[in-house]
Amino acid sequence: MTRASLVRPSRHMRFPWVAVALVALVESVPGCGGATFQLAAQDNDRGALTAALAQRHLSDQPAPINAARVPRAFVALGGPRKQVVAYDLGAGKLLWRQPADVASRIAVGGSFVVELEGKQLVARDQTTGAITWHVDVPGAFVGVAADRDRAYVVWSAGDTSIGGGSGTVAAYDGATGSELWHERADGALGAPAAQGGVVYVPYLSQWLSLVDGATGKQLARLRGLDEQISMLRVTSTDAFYGSKQGVFHLDATSASGSRKGGTYASVTVPAQLEHTQYGVDAYDPVQSGYSAADRARVLWSGMLGAGGYAVHYFRFVFGFDANGAMTWAYSHPRTELVASDDTGAAIIAISQAGDVIALDPKTGVVRLDRAIGTSEPVLGATFDADGWTPPEPARTAADQDRARDPQAATIDALVAIARDHDARFDRVKQLAVQALAKLPGGEVTRELLDVLADPRAPDKLKGDVVDLLVERRDPASLPVLAAQLATHDDFIAKTTPAALGPIAKAIAGLAGLQLDHEAVASALAALQSQLDAPATQVPDLVPVIAAMAAIGGGAERAALVSHLLLYHADDAIGGDPAWAHAIVTALEDHGSPAEREILRAVAADPKTRPALRDALH
Amino acid sequence: MTRLRFHVRTVWLTITLCASPLAVAAPKPAKAGLAQIVAALDGADDEAAARAADTLGDRTEPAAHEALLDALAWGTSPVVAVEVIAAVAKHPAPPDLAALRRYAGHHDPRIRAAALGALASYADPAARAAIAAGLRDPEASVRAAAASAAARGHVAAAIDPLLALLGLGEEPAARALAAMADPELVRRIGDQLGKVPEPALALCLGLVLQRADFGPDSERVEVVRALAKIKDPAADGALADYLRATPKTPARESRAEAEKLVQARTGGATP
Repeated sequence: MTRASLVRPSRHMRFPWVAVALVALVESVPGCGGATFQLAAQDNDRGALTAALAQRHLSDQPAPINAARVPRAFVALGGPRKQVVAYDLGAGKLLWRQPADVASRIAVGGSFVVELEGKQLVARDQTTGAITWHVDVPGAFVGVAADRDRAYVVWSAGDTSIGGGSGTVAAYDGATGSELWHERADGALGAPAAQGGVVYVPYLSQWLSLVDGATGKQLARLRGLDEQISMLRVTSTDAFYGSKQGVFHLDATSASGSRKGGTYASVTVPAQLEHTQYGVDAYDPVQSGYSAADRARVLWSGMLGAGGYAVHYFRFVFGFDANGAMTWAYSHPRTELVASDDTGAAIIAISQAGDVIALDPKTGVVRLDRAIGTSEPVLGATFDADGWTPPEPARTAADQDRARDPQAATIDALVAIARDHDARFDRVKQLAVQALAKLPGGEVTRELLDVLADPRAPDKLKGDVVDLLVERRDPASLPVLAAQLATHDDFIAKTTPAALGPIAKAIAGLAGLQLDHEAVASALAALQSQLDAPATQVPDLVPVIAAMAAIGGGAERAALVSHLLLYHADDAIGGDPAWAHAIVTALEDHGSPAEREILRAVAADPKTRPALRDALH
Repeated sequence: MTRLRFHVRTVWLTITLCASPLAVAAPKPAKAGLAQIVAALDGADDEAAARAADTLGDRTEPAAHEALLDALAWGTSPVVAVEVIAAVAKHPAPPDLAALRRYAGHHDPRIRAAALGALASYADPAARAAIAAGLRDPEASVRAAAASAAARGHVAAAIDPLLALLGLGEEPAARALAAMADPELVRRIGDQLGKVPEPALALCLGLVLQRADFGPDSERVEVVRALAKIKDPAADGALADYLRATPKTPARESRAEAEKLVQARTGGATP
C-alpha cells in the first residue's frame, strides 16, 4: 500500500471523521499535490470564505451569463449527424447549428461556449458556433465550467475511484484558449462550477475549494462535516452545494461546515420519483455529460424549498409547495424531457423531440411550448436563461382556459400520467392517482373510475385507485359513482359492469356524510339494479349490500329483505358466509317488527342454508 | 306462517311494482287436502316440494295458485323454484307477473330460463320487456329460453335483439325469428345477408319456408330467392328440405323456384 493510497479516502466515504483523521495524519507529510489542493490547507475559515464570496462578480438581478444577456439554450443533438445548436429562447429562433459530437455538458461563457469533443476541449463563438479554439485534455475528462471570461476543465490521471490517481484543474482564456494556469491535486477532483471569476472545485468528496479563476490560487476551502460535497449548482446570483441528502446555500455560514450552522435545506421528494437528485453528481463520470440522471431533478430558485419547488421526472414535472404538498403537475406528450432548469420566473425544459416548454413555477400552467425545429433527437441541453420570463400564453382558447384554471390543467396532467401506458412509470402513475384523489369533485372521481375501467392499467394501480376511492369520501362523487353502476352484463352490447365492488365500497365510504337526497335515491336504485342483476357475483354482492345499508337510511331495507328471501334457500348465495354476514348485518339493526319477524322466520325455515342460519343466530 | 307469507309477498310486491295499486287478494281458506300439499311445498324435502308444486299447478282453486305465489315470495331452493314457476304459469293471472319478473333476474340460469318461459304466457308489456331483456343474458341457455318465449308470445320488442343474436350466429334466435316472421320481417331478415353468419340466416329462412301458415306463395318465392343469394351449403339444405316437405301438386311457384335453384346448384340432382 502506497502512502498516497493511505491518504485518499474514497469518494464513497461515508465517515467524515475518517477523512479528518487522515488529514491529521498527513499534515506533516510534504509534497502532497500542488499549491492549491493541499490536504493540510485551512478549512472553513469564515474570513477567507467571506472574502472569496465577495470577490465574485455577480449580477444584481438574475440574468443570463452570455454577454448579450439574451436567454439561450445550447443543445446537443444525436442521430447520424451529431450537432450542437444554439437557440434564442426569447425570440424563439435558432441561432446556429454546427456539426459536433458533444461528449460533455456545454458550459456557457460570455461570448463563447465550451464542451468536450473526443479528447479535446472545444470553444465556439456563441453568436456563430464557429470553433474559436481547442485544446487537448491530457487525462480522463471530469467536467467543464465557464464564467464570462474563462473556461475551466478538470481531468484526472490514474484511478481516482479507488483512492489513487490525481486530479487537475486548468483555466483557459475564453477568447483565445491560452492556458492561464493549472493546479494538480492528489486525489479526485469533481466536476467544477464557475461563477463571476471564482471556480468551485469539489475535492475528495469532502471539500469544496474556492479558487481564484484568474490565478488558480485557493481563496477558501469548505469541509463538509455532516455530509459529502458531491453536487454543485450555480445561477447568476447564487451558488449551492451539497449531496443527495440536501443542499447548502453558499454563503458566509457555510464556514460552519455543518447543516445546523449553514444555510441548509432538503425537500420531500415522493418515493415514487426515485433517483431524483438536486444536481449533477460531480464525481460520476457518466454525469460529466448529459445523461438519464438529468431527467430526474429537483428544480428550485432562491433558497431551496422556501417558496416551493418542482421535480422534473422524465416526461413529467410536478410542483410542490414549501410543505411538500403537490400543487400542480405537467405531463409532456409522448417524449421525455431531457434537460430542465428553474430560471426563477419559469421552469424550462426541452424534450427529446426538441420541444421547449416553459411552465409557471407557481401553477404549472404552460407559458411556452415551441419546437426548436430539429428532426435529430436532443441528447441534452444547457440553459443560460436565468431570470427569463416567458411570454404569457395566448394561443388557443383551450390554452387560455387552462391558464385561467390551473387546477383543471393539473387534473388533465395527472390523468394523462395515470392513463399513460408506459410501464416504466407505474410508480409515477401511483403518485398521480394519489394526487388526483386529494382533489375534490365528481370529475376527478370519474377520472379515477376510468383508470379502473382501463384494461391496460396495471393491477397494482387499480388496487391503489380502489383504496383511494374508498378513502376519498367526497359527497360530490356520489352521482358519478351511481352513474357508473348503470352498466350491466349485456351479451349483445358486450358490456359488463366495471369495478362494481370498488364502486360499491366507495359509496359505502360516504356513510355519515351530508348527501344530496336525490343523489342517494339514484344511487340506491343503481345499487339495487346490481343487487338484482343475475350475473352479480357474491364478492360484489357483499359490498353492494353494505353500500345500500350505508347510505340508504332505511329506504334500502325492503329491497334487502326481498333479496334475503330470494336466496335464503339457495346454496350458491345463501350458503356463502360472506353474503350471509353482509345481509344480516344490513338488516339486523333498526328493523320494523315485521322485518324482525321475517328474520326470525327465515332463521327457523328448514330450507335456510346453514351459513345464513348461523349468521342469523 | 300464512300471515307472514302474505306480508312477505306484500314487501317484494311493493318493491318490484313500485307501490302499484295492484291488490293482493288475501289467501282463501284451503280445501281439504290442500294444506298437506302446501306443507310439502314448504318442507325441506326438495323432491316432495317439487311434486307438490306440480300438483298445485294442476289444481284450479285460487288457494292453490296463492300457495305457489307464496312459495315464490318466501323463496325456495332452485330445484323447487323451477317447478313452482312452471306450475304458476299453468293458470296465468296478473298477480303472477311480479313474481315471475323477480325470478327472471335470479342468479341461477335454470330459474331465469323457467321464468322467461313462463312469462310468454302473459300479454303484459312488462312481461314482454322482461323477455326482450332476457335475450341479453350472459347465459346461452337463458337466451335460448327468452328467444323461445319471444316466439311464443310474439314479442315485437324482441325482434331487434333477436336480429342482433342472429348476427352472432345464435340458432335459437334464428328459430324464434322464423317462427315470428311475417313478410315484412322476412324482408328484414333477408337484408341481413352479409351482416350475419350465412348458416344461421339459411336456417332462419328455411324454417320460414316450412311454416304452413306463412304466405301467400308469392312471399315464399321471395324467401326462396333470398336463400338463393346465400352461398353457404346450409342454403342448399334448406331448399332441399323445403322440396322434401312440399308436395309436387298442387303446383307452387315457390317450390318450382326452389327446385330450379337446387338443380342449378347441385348439377341436376334433386332430393
